[in-house]
Amino acid sequence: MEQNILLVNDLRVHFFTRRGTYKALNGVELIIKKGEIFGLAGESGCGKTTLGLSIMGLLPRNAAIITGKVLLDNFDLIAPLRDFAQKNINNFNFRRSENIIKKLNDKLVNIRGKKISMVFQDSMTSLNPVLQIGYQIAESFIVHQPNQLLKRKLARVNAKQNQLEEILDMLKNGASEDEVVAFAESNGLSGIEEQVINVWRRNDMSEANKEKIIMSLHSEKLGFFEKIFVFSNKNKAQSLARVPGFSRMYKNTLIKEGYRKAVELLSMLEIPNPDRVVKMYPHELSGGMRQRIMIAIALANNPELVIMDEPTSALDVTVQAQILELIKSLKGRFNTSFIIISHDLSVLAEVCDRIGIMYGGRIVEISSKEDVFKKPLHPYTQMLISAIPTIESQDLRGIGGSVPDMRNPPNGCMFHPRCPYVMDICKTKEPKMLEKDGHLVSCFLYGEDS
Amino acid sequence: MIIAGRNISKYFPIKSGSLFGKPLMLKAVNEVNIEVNEGEIVGVVGESGSGKTTLGRLLVGLLTPTSGHIFFDIPDDKLKEYDEYLVNGEKEKYQKIEREYSILNKSGNKLKSIRKSMNIVFQDPYSSLDPRYNVIDIIMEPLIASGQLSSDKRYARAMELLDEVGLPRDFAYRYPHELSGGQRQRVAIARGIATFPKFLVLDEPTSALDVSVQAQILSLLLRIREKYNIGMLLITHNIAVISYMADRVNVMYAGKIVESGPKVDIILQPDHPYTKALISAVPGKSVKANRIILKGDTPNLINPPLGCSFHPRCPVAFGICGWTIKEVYEDLKYLIENKYSEILDNKASVNINNENIVIFNANLDKVKKIIEEEMNNIRSLFAIDIVEEKEGHIQITIKKYRVPKMVHHKNKMISCLLFDLNDN
Repeated sequence: MEQNILLVNDLRVHFFTRRGTYKALNGVELIIKKGEIFGLAGESGCGKTTLGLSIMGLLPRNAAIITGKVLLDNFDLIAPLRDFAQKNINNFNFRRSENIIKKLNDKLVNIRGKKISMVFQDSMTSLNPVLQIGYQIAESFIVHQPNQLLKRKLARVNAKQNQLEEILDMLKNGASEDEVVAFAESNGLSGIEEQVINVWRRNDMSEANKEKIIMSLHSEKLGFFEKIFVFSNKNKAQSLARVPGFSRMYKNTLIKEGYRKAVELLSMLEIPNPDRVVKMYPHELSGGMRQRIMIAIALANNPELVIMDEPTSALDVTVQAQILELIKSLKGRFNTSFIIISHDLSVLAEVCDRIGIMYGGRIVEISSKEDVFKKPLHPYTQMLISAIPTIESQDLRGIGGSVPDMRNPPNGCMFHPRCPYVMDICKTKEPKMLEKDGHLVSCFLYGEDS
Repeated sequence: MIIAGRNISKYFPIKSGSLFGKPLMLKAVNEVNIEVNEGEIVGVVGESGSGKTTLGRLLVGLLTPTSGHIFFDIPDDKLKEYDEYLVNGEKEKYQKIEREYSILNKSGNKLKSIRKSMNIVFQDPYSSLDPRYNVIDIIMEPLIASGQLSSDKRYARAMELLDEVGLPRDFAYRYPHELSGGQRQRVAIARGIATFPKFLVLDEPTSALDVSVQAQILSLLLRIREKYNIGMLLITHNIAVISYMADRVNVMYAGKIVESGPKVDIILQPDHPYTKALISAVPGKSVKANRIILKGDTPNLINPPLGCSFHPRCPVAFGICGWTIKEVYEDLKYLIENKYSEILDNKASVNINNENIVIFNANLDKVKKIIEEEMNNIRSLFAIDIVEEKEGHIQITIKKYRVPKMVHHKNKMISCLLFDLNDN
């Protein structure tokens, strides 16, 4: 059976604003399976981004989670926020809400970036302009797996030339990665295997060059402080790192190693000249390149779930095609599920396995990517498909009316004021998600759920 | 022709590095020819930075071209004559036509009356409407400025326009912030057609809107075209929108039009390698098997590549497309000093002098073999003309490049050497 990574259950998020309560999410139901790419489409203001941010627990202080759960591996990410909102719904205090958020942030430090990470919409503003690319990638290693970095260093110190030769021979004879890992562990060199394999997998250099790099991995000489951190056990290294003065040395050791790992990660994403790119600053890179760096940062710690918020909408078509190709190629290589948020259905159709259509803060239909175009069930999906111009279609029909004002949303089904098949029940009762022909659809046309 | 541009260029000065140095020029639009007929929608597609918007602004007179001429309402035969004179270099004759029809040579009342018959709808309806004016004032403003109607008639016309663009009449006294994106764009369109223009530039009219609203706006524009017989220039990066709306399509790349012709021929049978890649990159339900993924990014327009500006990214570029000796040198250096250094015993070194690339300590046959093997991966190697041994080292000369010109191919115009050569 396929494993579920993420479960969102009846999520309702409201924002308290000066001009009334903005009902952004109104009962979202969503299940993400392991290793799938899920697309989330909808018009602006339908709550796509809010859903992404709620899953990350990144809500502002005026947001109240009325009901709902976000379960990542059976751990409820937003429980404190929900409990607070439910207790204080009539007397919502922004300052107290902020305190709760601060506490939640401390709690989620070990989850964000490690188990679940996010690629934001605008790559120019989400990278730090005063830090090198390499540092920004290394930061996620330093925060989440400092011991792994020290281990890699130690492995290089301990490795002997003949051991590396042996690993190389194994790779040349077509040994699998598991065998290499097993060999490295049995020789007390765990940490070396990923360095060797990452170099071996590069296709931008000749085999002779690769061998040269791999063979140069042994018997590294360390500085005085580096020795202290690398050779002490991990608890000792971390307690030493709290001593003033030592902390900087500790961090420098990690940064140096983090840059090395960043180069490996970038070469894995097939970015040309990774050794040069890590020393650059964001403004030196083009938009497509920056987006690739953002994706690299999100994938740094091999998370279980990556949320991409409009990853290609700031890019040109030809660059967009490059990024989509990259996302497609990631699917097999990393054991990661993706949620891709976009307003462009055709972009999602390129890369996703399943697509969910959002309207008025609710997911109205979930189906496979073929079915979205071929046999959409929900009236909104049908109308949305016929409103998208494509090269083939010459028949466009817009959807009459406009997106509902989420401060005063309509009762019952959100779409009923614009729906051509509206019935009496639509105006009073909220439809629930039903299964129909392999789709999940929330519409009374396909039966009533009592 | 309602509007025709001939050899229009627009260069923007950029601060140079040194204090007294010459300012660098950003070549936003470079030697572009464009025509729009009455009642015709002409599309301009291209990536960001290709000069689409600058071209639109030049045509309505918001910017003055650095060189070239823009003709307004010129009879077709005059334009044909002008082209002939230009080719034959009959200076007096073509200057006479320029004096008569070019909007650059007009001023005062004449220019004012031309201005009345052109208008532009901007990309972002959130910033192109004055927040302190209400809707009716916004729509009446061009009528006041052109001074054609009395105040009662102005009001009546503005109300008519509200009906025309599908807004209820009680929106007249609302302010822009009270409207949604689609409604604002409708107001902007009403303002654009208020003075009965003959030519309208639509600068990305729907890129800030949602798909469902986009469809409404597009069909509104088609309806207006039918009714008023306005010639429109539709600027967009969305190829699907172009294929829905336009009659003829121009594809721009790095400030130049690379392919232009009827919509069907461009969208369904593109010929220029850039158009092919652009159209194959459009995500859609019919996922194409032979998608062309371009490498790299759009070129820097301050120092555009020589020859054809697309050649560094072109998947079918060949010897004379514009490779410079420096580009070939860098690729060869990488191949000989890094990738294949083992084969050449780690001793070979690559150097460059003014006209040639010189390789020391290498075997001629091996170098030739390397070049042959890598030819299909690294396109710049096509530019290598002669590889010969001279005074103990290997000397490489490269071919001279050519600049592609616009040539007729089937019923379109293409600027690509692939088609240039076939015709000669």
